[in-house]
Amino acid sequence: MAYFLELLANGALVGLMYSLAALGFVLIYKSSGVPNLAQGALIMAAAYAAWLMVSWGLPIWAAVIAAAGVMFLFGLLVERLLLRPMVGQPVIMVVMLTLGLEILLRGLVPGLLGAAPKPLDLGIGLAPVIVGDVFMNRAYLIGGVVAVILIAASMLFFRTRLGTKLRAVSDDHVASWAVGLSVERAIAVSWGIAGIAAVGAGVLWGSVQGVDWTLSSLLFPAVAVVILGGVDSIKGVFVGGLAVGILGSVIPGYLDAYAGGSTRDVVTSLIILLTIMIRPYGIFGREDIERI
Amino acid sequence: MKFLAKLGITAALAFGPAAASAQEEPIKFGLLQDFTAVYTFVSGEYNQGQQDYLTLVNEEGGIDGRMFEAIVRDTGNEPQRGIEAYNRAREEGAILFDFLSTPVSRAVVDRAMQDEVVLITPLHGRGDAAAGQTFPYVFPVMATYWSQAAILADYINQNQGGLEGKKIALVHIDSPFGREPTPILEDLAEQEGFEFRAFGYASPGNEQSAVWSEVRRYRPDAVFIWGAGGGQSVSVREAIRNGISAENIYSVVWLAETDAQNVGAEAMTGVKRYEAVATGTDTPIVSRIMDTVIEPGLGAGDRANVGSSYYNIGVATMAVAVEAARLALENGDGPLDGTALKEGFESIENFDAEGLMPPITITPEDHQGGGYGRVAQWNGEEWEPVSDWTTAYQDVVQSEIDAGAAEYSGGN
Amino acid sequence: MFYRLSGIHHTGYESARRLWPVPADRWQVGAVLVLALAAPFLVSNLYLGSYILPWLIWSAAALSLSLLMGLAGQLHFGYAAVMAIGAYTSIHLSQAGVPFALSLLGAGVVSALIGTVFGAAALRVKGLYLVMATLAMQYLVDWVIVNVPAISGGAQATLRTPTVTFLGLPVETLTQRYYLALAWAVLLTLFFMNVKRTSFGRALIAIRDKDFAAAVIGVDPFRYKLMAFLTSSFVGGVTGAILAFCYYRAVTPEQFSFNVSIQLVAMVLVGGLGSAIGGFLGAGFVLLLPIILTNVIADLGSSGWIDISRNLMSHLPLIFYGAMIIGFLLFEPLGLAKIYDNIRKYFLVWPFRHSRS
Repeated sequence: MAYFLELLANGALVGLMYSLAALGFVLIYKSSGVPNLAQGALIMAAAYAAWLMVSWGLPIWAAVIAAAGVMFLFGLLVERLLLRPMVGQPVIMVVMLTLGLEILLRGLVPGLLGAAPKPLDLGIGLAPVIVGDVFMNRAYLIGGVVAVILIAASMLFFRTRLGTKLRAVSDDHVASWAVGLSVERAIAVSWGIAGIAAVGAGVLWGSVQGVDWTLSSLLFPAVAVVILGGVDSIKGVFVGGLAVGILGSVIPGYLDAYAGGSTRDVVTSLIILLTIMIRPYGIFGREDIERI
Repeated sequence: MKFLAKLGITAALAFGPAAASAQEEPIKFGLLQDFTAVYTFVSGEYNQGQQDYLTLVNEEGGIDGRMFEAIVRDTGNEPQRGIEAYNRAREEGAILFDFLSTPVSRAVVDRAMQDEVVLITPLHGRGDAAAGQTFPYVFPVMATYWSQAAILADYINQNQGGLEGKKIALVHIDSPFGREPTPILEDLAEQEGFEFRAFGYASPGNEQSAVWSEVRRYRPDAVFIWGAGGGQSVSVREAIRNGISAENIYSVVWLAETDAQNVGAEAMTGVKRYEAVATGTDTPIVSRIMDTVIEPGLGAGDRANVGSSYYNIGVATMAVAVEAARLALENGDGPLDGTALKEGFESIENFDAEGLMPPITITPEDHQGGGYGRVAQWNGEEWEPVSDWTTAYQDVVQSEIDAGAAEYSGGN
Repeated sequence: MFYRLSGIHHTGYESARRLWPVPADRWQVGAVLVLALAAPFLVSNLYLGSYILPWLIWSAAALSLSLLMGLAGQLHFGYAAVMAIGAYTSIHLSQAGVPFALSLLGAGVVSALIGTVFGAAALRVKGLYLVMATLAMQYLVDWVIVNVPAISGGAQATLRTPTVTFLGLPVETLTQRYYLALAWAVLLTLFFMNVKRTSFGRALIAIRDKDFAAAVIGVDPFRYKLMAFLTSSFVGGVTGAILAFCYYRAVTPEQFSFNVSIQLVAMVLVGGLGSAIGGFLGAGFVLLLPIILTNVIADLGSSGWIDISRNLMSHLPLIFYGAMIIGFLLFEPLGLAKIYDNIRKYFLVWPFRHSRS
């Protein structure tokens, strides 16, 4: 039983860390309908940015804030230079563009700053948090808390004046234009916020596994989270993250011994497939009504 | 021109034949590695060590006046790019290749044997390539993963109160590389009477918590961690977090200073790893590199890397290759081609690169060089050897090599 | 001037529907074909074996995928897995003693069967969701290959291709392998160009443009989507087998990883969706550009032109490659095929400035 609880707890926390990676994806998709497959690379770039600031002698909290500023501006820049000219193109073109951005970043950032893994110490320490017979990972616990805070902040943000504009834009571009909202600015802001979310994911994951290009492979679990939760729902990120994390922890925990290999990717793949076959728009996503 | 000097020995001459010295053609080595994908955690330092050693040899006058030249290219771990780079470097006259990438090496093995050029596969590639009769042109040169597992098990047997009755867990990345030590450890478990279980985690290994919950409940006396790159430091952290004492963690060769920084230098004190070559700048070769190559500014990269684990492995691979070339020039009278170099390799006897590595002897049958290595422990600042250069259970390893080689001969 | 149009009168459907109505195009195609046939005698083994041969095979793969993505409009981010199924099937069949021609066929059939399962998702969703579903299937196929030693070839996970003869002709030397690959690429190109002119091809295009609308005019989306996956997976499987036998000759799971799927999609998009010449140009671009860039940059570096670190130098090709994908999508979303078409149209009316079409 303790084993099950431990798998459950750590799985849930890891899942929340995945939510953090998925948050930026959802913010961008919600506002502009762009599936940003470069979110993994943004996370990597954010982690490198934080590492760079630390290596310049900044304390870690200042480095994180500075990195957030850098990534916010970078998000704005990407939207202005790359995404805005693509408005109206088929989805596959946009998908490919974000993949091109991912390749570019994966060359540029490790090329300039070094490809070998770099440490990013948050001062979390290695000792586990022990509750009863359950060992919880302290880094994941902090990551989970940060994820919850950021997700909650995003939800609250959508209640502010700017957030209301964003919601209007995500509902209907043309109608927003008609009432005088700047759709372009709203989308740009969502990219900027996605950049900040990438800093959260990048710093936490970077402290766990070291900062190198492999951070960009967080895209795959993040995609599973958003597909399950619904690509345009922030609530979905939270619930989807928990579900992907727990299933990806509990099922392999019992199955691996028999399957002769690690089944976590299989579980993640099946989550994506089953969601798409049964409820394509995810748990909280909005169903698209298509007109001829 | 400063840059030319810095690169020293790279492809410069290949593209400007006029620039070639009045002496004979340089001996060319193709170091076609993965600098941008899976092997980035090692390839930078490793390749730097290789280049610096060749610069050292050239600065000291070469071998009988013959200079060495490295052709360095990125393959991105993609077989098709590796094949192209291989064919091109071969056209330029390279007689030795090192890809430091298991997929690329595996794709090139057949070609290299057909073309009769030497392929060295230190610490990567097919373990069964140690069978010299089946793979005449492939040289693992250093201990295969099988030998590494055997040496780690032997260390427990010698120094930790025997293997009998112990519980050993292998926590590995779920890939052919990660699963490689399983058959050896299974055989040894039967032979030495210990309990063994393998736990795989999903690639790339940045998240392993579920596996370690299970490992903790298995209550192992020793844990072997078998991964690479960022996954290794995650393994060490998870192990410590799950109450496994750092002294009982044993790693494959891929655990270095950067991983220790990543985990936290203090926390990792006591973790042991298999070590193929000595670390640090104290050995004669590395200190000569310091004086002759690094000080005058001829180094191929950041001087902070000199003497690191992976740097020294790179130096050792080239030391063996240059030694083989020296023997080939000494013994043979014909031109130095792939076949001559292969024979050079096979006549290496008790070569230890002036104390940088264990003394290896390569024979036409054994291309592994005996499967030597030692166990080193992280003492909070650096890796400190805790055993002598040794080899262990080579009979068990050999049966695995033979089985693999037989399968290869049989068409696979 | 270059493309003489005088004297071309279509007096029947036959002539109007020819593949290349303009003689100059026919001459070009003929010349390229002759050059391709003579290639083993014209270029060195280096260029034949590591540039032209893989280019041909990847072009065939890009065409197979373009059949699905370009004609039928179904996105597929797991195509490398389909090719892997073909490669592994053909090797296992050949090792079991099945004649090579039949094992190629078997590779196609098995890939088609499993590939159609991929298509099941397409019946339910499209666009982004289809991308994710096929991506998930790529991971599943990879997992099965890596975790079943009987498929991947034992502990070393390497499967070597046995020596085979194709209908009595040996497939052993580079030249022989090249001709087999060339034959397959030509056959596939002809099939690709002709399929657009059949009712099947037109049905696929109708589905691509709007599946509901297609259903209204009597094209059954269920049937044609599955048939698109079936056809594309069949030729993709055979291409995978050709890739294994003619090029790699030792198959490992990494050769068909997720990255390869992305590269294939990039080939199709950069080349131009649904265009035959685009398949060839896109494959050349995606496959050869990183290789050429690596060599050019290494040459520049060693001759002292660029004074940068080894690390940045090896990442430069990746940077350029990503930047060029972005550049193409931003400035010419219709791909290299469109650029070719623009150039052709320019010469069509040269020395005048404006073309009619």
